[in-house]
Amino acid sequence: MVNPIYILILFLAAGFLLTLIDKGGRKLSLTVFYGILSFNVFVIGEWFYQLTFLDASTLIINTAGFSAPLSINLQLGIQESFVLLFANLTALLSGIYLFKKFKETHISGLILYLIMIMGVNSLVMTRDLFNMFVFLEIVSISTFALITLTETRKSLSAGFKYMIAGGIASTFFLLGVTFVYYFTGNLNLEFIHLSNFTNLGLISVFLLAIAVFIELKPFPANGWALDVYEAVDSGIVSVIAVVNSAAIFFVFYKIMPLLPQNFLNIFGIAGVVTFFFSNLMGLKQKNAKRLLGYSSIGQIGLLVASLIFTMHSPNSLIYLIVGGFFVNHLIAKAGLFWIAGIVKKENLKDWNVLKNNKPLLVLFGVLLFALSGFPPFAGFWAKWEFIKILVHGKMFFVIGAVLLGSLFEVIFLFRWFTLSIKSDEKAENKEFSLEFSKIFPTTIFAGITILISVIIMKFFYGFNWLHALPILAVLVLHVLDFLPSKIKGFLSLAAVLAYGYFLYPFESNIQLFFGVIFILGSAINIISTLNREGKSEGFYGLLLMMIFSFGNLIIATTYLEFFLSWEFMTISSFLLILRGKKAQKASLMYLIFSTAGAYLLMVGFSFAPDLISNSALILSITNVHLPIISIIMLAIGFMIKSGSLGVHIWLPEAHAEAESDVSPFISAILLKAGVFGLLMIAISYIKNTPSLDIFYWIGWIGVLTAIVGAFLASFQEDAKRLLAYSSMSQVGYIIASIAILSHLGWLSAMYLSFNHMMFKSALFIAIAGIYYRTHTRTMYEMGGLIKKMPLSFISVLILIIAVSGVPPLSGFGSKWLVYSAFITKGWYLQAGVLFFASAVSFLYLYRLIHTIFLGQLKYEHQEVKEAPLWFIIPQYIFIIGIMAFSMFPNLIIQPLNSIAMRYFDSSIIIDGYTISSSLGYWNGNMIMMVTMGVFIVPLIFLILFNGKMQKVKQFNIVYAAERPESPQTTHVAHNMYAHYRKALGGWGKPRIWNFWHESSEWSHSLAGFFRQLYTGNGQTYILHIIIYIVVIYFILGV
Amino acid sequence: MIFALILGFLLLVIGLYGMLTQKNLIKIVIGFSIVDTGTHIIIVSIGYLRGKTAPILDGAVDLANAAKQVVDPIPSALVLTAIVIGLAVTALMLSFVIKLYQKNKSLSIDDYQELKW
Repeated sequence: MVNPIYILILFLAAGFLLTLIDKGGRKLSLTVFYGILSFNVFVIGEWFYQLTFLDASTLIINTAGFSAPLSINLQLGIQESFVLLFANLTALLSGIYLFKKFKETHISGLILYLIMIMGVNSLVMTRDLFNMFVFLEIVSISTFALITLTETRKSLSAGFKYMIAGGIASTFFLLGVTFVYYFTGNLNLEFIHLSNFTNLGLISVFLLAIAVFIELKPFPANGWALDVYEAVDSGIVSVIAVVNSAAIFFVFYKIMPLLPQNFLNIFGIAGVVTFFFSNLMGLKQKNAKRLLGYSSIGQIGLLVASLIFTMHSPNSLIYLIVGGFFVNHLIAKAGLFWIAGIVKKENLKDWNVLKNNKPLLVLFGVLLFALSGFPPFAGFWAKWEFIKILVHGKMFFVIGAVLLGSLFEVIFLFRWFTLSIKSDEKAENKEFSLEFSKIFPTTIFAGITILISVIIMKFFYGFNWLHALPILAVLVLHVLDFLPSKIKGFLSLAAVLAYGYFLYPFESNIQLFFGVIFILGSAINIISTLNREGKSEGFYGLLLMMIFSFGNLIIATTYLEFFLSWEFMTISSFLLILRGKKAQKASLMYLIFSTAGAYLLMVGFSFAPDLISNSALILSITNVHLPIISIIMLAIGFMIKSGSLGVHIWLPEAHAEAESDVSPFISAILLKAGVFGLLMIAISYIKNTPSLDIFYWIGWIGVLTAIVGAFLASFQEDAKRLLAYSSMSQVGYIIASIAILSHLGWLSAMYLSFNHMMFKSALFIAIAGIYYRTHTRTMYEMGGLIKKMPLSFISVLILIIAVSGVPPLSGFGSKWLVYSAFITKGWYLQAGVLFFASAVSFLYLYRLIHTIFLGQLKYEHQEVKEAPLWFIIPQYIFIIGIMAFSMFPNLIIQPLNSIAMRYFDSSIIIDGYTISSSLGYWNGNMIMMVTMGVFIVPLIFLILFNGKMQKVKQFNIVYAAERPESPQTTHVAHNMYAHYRKALGGWGKPRIWNFWHESSEWSHSLAGFFRQLYTGNGQTYILHIIIYIVVIYFILGV
Repeated sequence: MIFALILGFLLLVIGLYGMLTQKNLIKIVIGFSIVDTGTHIIIVSIGYLRGKTAPILDGAVDLANAAKQVVDPIPSALVLTAIVIGLAVTALMLSFVIKLYQKNKSLSIDDYQELKW
């Protein structure tokens, strides 16, 4: 083990000698340069290993032959080695990134770089306050000088502002150090204690702390930092944003014991304020590097806040939270700055050059997901535990600011991401050069961030492979990506079935029911994806990820496992939706709403009491008394996912713009995840009913969702949007039925869920087939397809009968149960509204079949063929299922009855095919027989006795409502229900959409307003700093 | 010594005022230099004890009672380092100014505002 003091000596020696060495050629000096940087990482890495795993004791290094406080001493403990390991690693990789620059520049560039890194190392290790000042200055001066590595007008002016601001901050630091010495007679941190200070003496501590805090770039005294981030070369910026910030952050950590608690609280809040506002202002940002700058500043604010607010928690949690945020920010930010330097595009819209470069795009995605705190990356775990601690501390404003800030961050980061993939701007075909020296560090960092995720999941939480299965699926299929799509499709199908078989033994009946919806439903839906040509790179990995996370939801045993799977589901479905051709806005909207929902879930779960048993969450939740606030949060979170009224606006966009074989998964299965969650909290609710009757209101929301969804569906021209709104409406029924909280209600909710899964899958697949042939989703552009696509027609016909709830198909049974449930409960008005909604659903269902299949065949569709077999097979599997369950309803009612009986006394009697409730009975089998008889007897009669049948060809009746070549918009199919829309009057306005639109506009204007603080004038920035210091001074009332 | 302390703070404030009001880059650097000097005077002033001698252990100081006869040597040591650092920072600032002037032929800070928001 090497004494770390040699690191500093080696750096200094090299600093002096490099000029000489350089005489032997740049190759030699570069070898020495990288040798020293690597040596450094190695030494610190070894120390880190010894301290962490071998329990070596903290190393104290005295200098000049005296012990402290007579001399300066250095300390290397776990924290120091952790920070230094990552700082030095970043320094090494940034050095490699800058390889080309270092090859050409004057030797002083290399020297400055080494001196800067030495400064960082000493800054972290030293325990002497004045020494800290010296190294702070050494780091600053070398950084200022390194900025001139690229001498542009922008980098110089940014550098100048940075120097002035840094100069002011270090002046205050020096004053603080001086006065600490004045009041305590000591400069060594070991010998200074908070109790040494009189009230007056606290001013010295204040000066010290505020100076370091200014260096950490608090809002609004941070304009200078943003300019630096924007203007300076990426390689250097990554060092400034990451390595220097890490060291200064650690200095703040070191002086924290000197600060009284009320100081710390204010600094913590200032950190949160910084996080919130910089992410808010990031919304308006169009320049990539400045955007990263806003995000960096925010993350550092969050880091400080997390450090302060978790102070009194157990050590392991502090390591996870602060360490997690620290590493996450460090790796993701450095990596993204490097990528920004590789792509070299300022405007976010020009980033679509990434489209043509898959490996880089993957790196970009990994780092973005890591930065935004999605699982499995460190930021996710840190945020989860952090929020938990904040909830226990009842710091609700902080929670709000942190989560809202995070949401803003997700919005601007993923707007960037989606633009890189889907921007309409014409991609310049100028290939950007991929230099190995620049790709290498980025790849290493992406690898490390994944490695850290593995470590946290495996060793901190003790998760097994099953929890990581969604990620493993992506990785495995990524390796297999060279295979043709069909093979991967069959493999996926087999994997899903195997997974379902594997889960089967673990499942109780309620889990099994959702297992059938999630896994078996998905498996059948996979068949439709077999129609894909080519390789469909990346598709199956994401699909499997989504399906496995559905499955993991039902077997999750803790809140965290549930939430983890929930987030995996969000990520995978977001990426799947993003694959759609015009899905940029739709997928972004989906992600924003999902993330907001996820944050609500996170808070909701944090409020929930600990679980006692370790069986599956859906079972053990029975014994958990959820507080009312938790129920509200969770309910809203789940209802966002199931597209309830008010938070539904993502739904039509996402369904419509997703690829046509993805939509069935989104509608038929993904929405059920929200239903599953809502059922889960309802289970807890019925056993431990709190005073507020929240489910009464949820019931109303469900009912209104049903009616509004039905109306909206009727006014759509786009077949997929129509089905999307129809899904919204149907899920409204389900939610309302859950909210009834009775045996009959839950029975019908589950029955509806099951039916909806079947018929909505099949309908979306049918539309997928039609879209595949006609290349349009706009219904009035179709027509008369009955002859060309008879199988699709029959399928859609049967399905809309099932959806509409007329006898004989299963939809009728579910509607009958729903109304019975509502009436038994005494919710007459709700039942009436639902009944009306059912009537409205006839409108859109009629429109669907009429406009697409009936009427005149369009000229351009003369040659259209039947939908491909791969679309027909799953449709008919579902139809057979619907038929079977309509004929023999007890097949499904019986098990559902026993599930609902776990929670309520049974309210129905099943006798053979007859199901009786207190209101009457329903015999599905008999209805089926009668209806078939009613149809088949006349049919046979007609066939036998109506011999003179003449088939009418299309052009026999030229003027049948439409001349084939006339504009389609004059046809009844276009804007079909305009009169109803008119009748709705003011109710027809898209109020909710407007509300969200306005909210978005407002937050952007607010961002625009606040960022005007950053005038670009260096003097204004100094003024900000001084005012900031004064304001904090008065708030603290020192 | 209280007079030096006040003087130091006065200089510091004057320097800050200069940095905030002067548009010329060189004058801003001068302002910074004044702030620096003010800080140095403050440091020296807190170590100074009236009627005591320089902390040099020669004939003038009785070795046994040295601690009672000399001023506190630490602030003096600190201020020396601080002066050196201040010098380096000032020099670097001035070189930035020169580079900026070479590139843009302007010394007004108002001409360097294109990075904003």
